[in-house]
Amino acid sequence: MKVKDTIIGIAAALLLIAVMAAIVGGGTAYTPSTEIRRLAEFYLKHCINVYNTTWWTSSPATVTSMVWDYRGIDTYYETSVFFLAVIGSTALFRIAEVKLRAEGEEKRELGLSTIVKTSTRIVFPLISIVSASVVLHGHLNPGGGFQAGSILVVGPLLLMASFSRRYLEDRLRLSRARCIALFTTGLISIILVVALSFAIGGALMQNQPKPWSPKSPWGLLTKIGPLEISGTLFFFDLAEFLVVSFGFTLLFLLLSIPEREFRRLLGL
Amino acid sequence: MLAISMMAFAFTLAAIFTHLAIKNRDLVKATIFSAGQSTAFALIFFLLMAPDIVLAYVAVAVGIYTVLLLYVISKTERYEEGE
Amino acid sequence: MSIEHFLQLYCYAALIVIMVISLYGIVRGASLTKKLIALTIFGDVANVLIIYVGFRLGEKVFVPALPTLEPSPEEVAWFASVAVDPVPQCLVLTAIVINMAVTLFLAFLVIQAYRLYGTTAVKKIAKLRG
Repeated sequence: MKVKDTIIGIAAALLLIAVMAAIVGGGTAYTPSTEIRRLAEFYLKHCINVYNTTWWTSSPATVTSMVWDYRGIDTYYETSVFFLAVIGSTALFRIAEVKLRAEGEEKRELGLSTIVKTSTRIVFPLISIVSASVVLHGHLNPGGGFQAGSILVVGPLLLMASFSRRYLEDRLRLSRARCIALFTTGLISIILVVALSFAIGGALMQNQPKPWSPKSPWGLLTKIGPLEISGTLFFFDLAEFLVVSFGFTLLFLLLSIPEREFRRLLGL
Repeated sequence: MLAISMMAFAFTLAAIFTHLAIKNRDLVKATIFSAGQSTAFALIFFLLMAPDIVLAYVAVAVGIYTVLLLYVISKTERYEEGE
Repeated sequence: MSIEHFLQLYCYAALIVIMVISLYGIVRGASLTKKLIALTIFGDVANVLIIYVGFRLGEKVFVPALPTLEPSPEEVAWFASVAVDPVPQCLVLTAIVINMAVTLFLAFLVIQAYRLYGTTAVKKIAKLRG
């Protein structure tokens, strides 16, 4: 064992002992207790309180109503960080108009065996249905835009692995440009809903009418006919679903370009 | 009592998997052990009453990270240097 | 010290052990990909710690989502006294997405570094000097 490894091992053991001593001997600020903080009680009491609608969000799912209504501006900036990461990765792998079939059209069977292809054909619509259900019920049940977007990315990944990348780009017409178009549609929808709530209410990302806003009592609807829509939460969920799922699909389409094309273009 | 003992079992499993992931020199095996550790963490999130996070975490850590790391390994090296 | 108290401390200790192992992996990883794997484990450990602090002990704790659309005031009071803290869950959702974006960007940078330098071993890159 070298000296560096021994020193690191001793430091790790000391960290462990110090943290455990702080927890056992000290107070209960960092351990679970039987009471929760007053801010959390406020959110739990007022997220669906039909008798006192000053602070309500008309959605019984507390986490979704916190993500898009009580702490909505956090989520707005998080979406912009995600957008920056996708744009940065696309800029690193920029490729003008690559002719991936220029190396000679091979007439061989692409993809894995028939068993894999058949089971992928069964699983892919089920994944799409699950992700659609999660996003459409995001304001009533645990769920929402991010969760459904991450689930939907798994479908095209399976298709790329068991069929080929060419199947996704040519037969299903999901090329890189189309992914960018859908991804920006989601982002523009978020900006439109924010502007709409600003025009109807008086504050940014305002969901339900508040008594102190200058345009009271106007606010967004909570019901359209027999369907429960919790104001802005439904539309934000749909837009975020588009952003997350097609942003990831774009990155994986870029990653699956074979390496020899990049080496040829870089001149290595 | 049952929830706490299941949580202790899941934490032990996660610790074993992450030790195997960091120690191994074959990077494909390290990726698979990391996916196992993410499954143990998903069970812990469920036992801590957080269903929103279970949905997001399973899709991200077991689905997206594993495929992304396999792409990175196929474009760079598979075995890392060691003494 | 009852068995439940001991198991709670054991869970906390196991979490700190995982954090220390992943920190060791980040500092002493021999290739860039191993450092990336250890970084993802470290981010997940931080998320579990936040949710663990926000848990609520008790006989019957509940998920922070009401099962009815028009609750009576007694149901709202029961919900506020029995449900788990929802604030850490909102923060962890944001943290998962941001960690994912940063990891994706780092993976792309690792591939680009391999194309330019020809190796991912950290000791060889340190000897290159530009």
